[in-house]
Amino acid sequence: MRRSLAQNLVLALGLLVLAALVLLPFWWVASGSVKLPKEIIQRVPTMMPHSFTTQHFEKLFSSSDFPTYLVNSLLVALASTAATVALALPAAYAFFRMDFPGRAALYRAILLAYAFPGVVVLIPLYGLFSAAGLVDSRISLVIVNVAFALPFAIWMMRSFLASVPREIEEAALIDGAPVATILLRIMVPLIAPGIASVAVFAFIASWTEYLFASVLIVSDERRTIPVGFAGIIGQYQIDWGLLLAGATAATIPVVLLFALVGRWFVAGLTEGAVK
Amino acid sequence: MRNATLPFAFVAPALVFLAAVLGWPLLQAVWLSLQDVGVIGSQGRFVGLANYAAVLGDGRFWRALLRSLVWVAGNAAVQTLAALGAALILNQQFPGVRLARTWIILGWIVPTVVVVIIWRWLLSTSGGMINPLLVQAGVIDRPVGFFASRESAMTTLILINSWRWFPFTTLMLLAGLTRIPGELYEAARIDGAGAVKRFTRITWPLLQPTLLVLGVVGTLLSFNVFDVIWLLTAGGPAQATQTLPVLIYETAFKGYRLSEAAAVSVITSLLLMAFAVAATRAMAADEAER
Amino acid sequence: MAGLVLSSVKKRFGAVEVVGGVDLAVADGEFLVFVGPSGCGKSTLLRMIAGLERVSEGRIEIGGRDVTDEDPSKRGIAMVFQTYALYPHMTVAANMGFPLEMAGQPKREIDAKVAEAARVLRLEPFLERKPRELSGGQRQRVAIGRAIVRQPQVFLFDEPLSNLDAELRVGMRVEIARLHQALGATMVYVTHDQVEAMTLADRIAVLNAGRIEQVGAPLDLYEDPDNLFVAGFIGSPRMNILDADVVGSDGGDALVSMPRLGLEGVAAPCRGAAPPPGTAAKLGIRPEHVGGAEGATAMLAGTVTVVERLGGVAHVHVELADGSGFTIESREARRFQPGETARFGLDPRHLYLFDAATGRRV
Repeated sequence: MRRSLAQNLVLALGLLVLAALVLLPFWWVASGSVKLPKEIIQRVPTMMPHSFTTQHFEKLFSSSDFPTYLVNSLLVALASTAATVALALPAAYAFFRMDFPGRAALYRAILLAYAFPGVVVLIPLYGLFSAAGLVDSRISLVIVNVAFALPFAIWMMRSFLASVPREIEEAALIDGAPVATILLRIMVPLIAPGIASVAVFAFIASWTEYLFASVLIVSDERRTIPVGFAGIIGQYQIDWGLLLAGATAATIPVVLLFALVGRWFVAGLTEGAVK
Repeated sequence: MRNATLPFAFVAPALVFLAAVLGWPLLQAVWLSLQDVGVIGSQGRFVGLANYAAVLGDGRFWRALLRSLVWVAGNAAVQTLAALGAALILNQQFPGVRLARTWIILGWIVPTVVVVIIWRWLLSTSGGMINPLLVQAGVIDRPVGFFASRESAMTTLILINSWRWFPFTTLMLLAGLTRIPGELYEAARIDGAGAVKRFTRITWPLLQPTLLVLGVVGTLLSFNVFDVIWLLTAGGPAQATQTLPVLIYETAFKGYRLSEAAAVSVITSLLLMAFAVAATRAMAADEAER
Repeated sequence: MAGLVLSSVKKRFGAVEVVGGVDLAVADGEFLVFVGPSGCGKSTLLRMIAGLERVSEGRIEIGGRDVTDEDPSKRGIAMVFQTYALYPHMTVAANMGFPLEMAGQPKREIDAKVAEAARVLRLEPFLERKPRELSGGQRQRVAIGRAIVRQPQVFLFDEPLSNLDAELRVGMRVEIARLHQALGATMVYVTHDQVEAMTLADRIAVLNAGRIEQVGAPLDLYEDPDNLFVAGFIGSPRMNILDADVVGSDGGDALVSMPRLGLEGVAAPCRGAAPPPGTAAKLGIRPEHVGGAEGATAMLAGTVTVVERLGGVAHVHVELADGSGFTIESREARRFQPGETARFGLDPRHLYLFDAATGRRV
């Protein structure tokens, strides 16, 4: 549709506001992370840094526990992602491409997991993990992250699976392909974007998780970024330079991930949204 | 297709996992709420519904419930409005629209703690951007502590959480918008409908199903938000931002009254479940009417 | 190669019976077409033969072997889908080789068979392309190629041409006919298009509401329909059907009257004995068997509403005295103008008489 000049102006203005709303906070944080401490807490803040220093990043990576947090977060997120995809794929396939008694009821039961605040299961889970000797282990975080990502991940795969015509599977069936082959050789390549978006979702969910990590992890060397940072924020004298550098460094991995597969992720999110 | 056990073999790993990590602890939470366990790991006695009686008779629970409702309603209002505007913009065609549709979600994909750092800093009285900007614009006379007063703390939290979540809502609405066939708008133009009429007579009614789904999902998601609140205000000042999840956490891990926290959890879960069931019923009925 | 036998095959979805007791034997090498309106159960029937749909009741044999509960891949069938169902992420060669690969055949043998099929179907230049890089007709040929390489006993086609445009459809129709001659294989073909059915089939089975109305050679169905449904479904434009009453008989003919159209004692040929007087009947006549009024024993008149001029012939739509519609096929397109009254005669040799209550030919 063609737009008039006035409409174009309104659109441009709206876009500008939107961009400022989303991006400006990140710009302020990223630019702040290279300012000298003096400039950071200046009464009249600067849009563009007047000073430049890498001292906050040096401190972050050499004399703080950030590198440890970063490695922990990456390990937990990668393991959670792999496990979520491995569990969600066959389950989603069965839910949306196969017919079996109790299918609808089971699916609804899984979706119900979203009605519960995570904090509800936190207390009993802590007991279970401590009985199993898993408290203060990264595995416990992986288990929790997968459990909370799984229902959404299964739901997210629905539209991708639905986009593969049934005839293709039937043709494969007639061609003599066993179910496992149909899933791995036909479905997986065809819903690769869906798998990618589920993986991104699982990664982000794990990357941002705070509640369980704050309770289940006790020792400093196993902390993930959210909990590790929260510890620094809680200190009386806030070292803003360090925190801004940390926030910037914690944003970069997801930004990189998103630059690679973000388009698919957004598609996956929105495709599934409208049934 | 012939093998009847195969689908079960496919869903079993996920189901067993969820049952073990979510289902079983949920049942344990119910059992815990009937005892008098204090600190994690200690033994408790069976006390029946005593914890429920205590919770329901305690003003803190009701105040937290009320705050949760304010929280959900505030988030719904702010996010829906912001998302609707953003979705209408991103539904247009312009150079770079694909990039915009992807990167709008930036605030949603970074750790909560980063969101917390961003806004703590931007709102701080020393070096923060927001105070000087507001002073310059004449909205306030002098820098204010956004988390200092009871009213502004809740409002600020709602705005920050909405900043984080409105991109998600935007993408959902955008999906709903792209489902509306372009021919409808062309037909309406030919019939002489202006931009406003096109919105009120085509976009808005056809967006209803999407908004309804979002209303339900969004309510559940924002009700359960804990980390932003905890990390920014820890429920303060003077419990002004203590929603139910915060109350549960605080009772269990700061107050060392596990069983009481479990009772609050169970009540909360029942409320949310009742809401979810009622909402899906209503949606199904709505669907049947169409 | 082998034949196919269906014995009282039924399909129910819950309480709804979609296919109700189909008995049919397809001979080895025969080309059988299932034709019928949408929702008549023809696709479900084909999918049961393929093993994609469970048989609720009855038995299916292929080549003398009971395959009712057999896996689709072990039935000795190949299927060509309406949407082609090619694997989008595989090349043409990989698509065609997939069934052989699944059967565990050695790579060299697969390559040889794929090359042969590609040669027959003139797909050689496209072997390394992906399906989305092909035209609709080429995709359809790949789908057929994937079926050929398996050397099945029975080929199943599910409306394979309905996604193609009109011109390609004619070309592919000829190609499939050629293929049938070349391979001599048994083929079962589902379509809602009677032209496809008439041109391709050795025999046609007309399906309606999950039951076979009539099976026979195309021209037999056209010239000698068993019932009102087949009479109306086969032939374009449709056969005209008029309400009539049997008033008597004359030798093998029944004498019928259509008082509201002013016709008395029209002689209509019957298959057996004429029905007793007083029987409510339907009289059918095809548009091409309606001729000039001069010298005709039975004459009708009506107002011309629409004239569709197709070039060689014209379809003249007429409203009769009782308000019912009637179609005439005429070679003299210019003779008819809308709004004018047209007179025409019915050729008594081409009248069909049906029992109004049962719809059966009498």
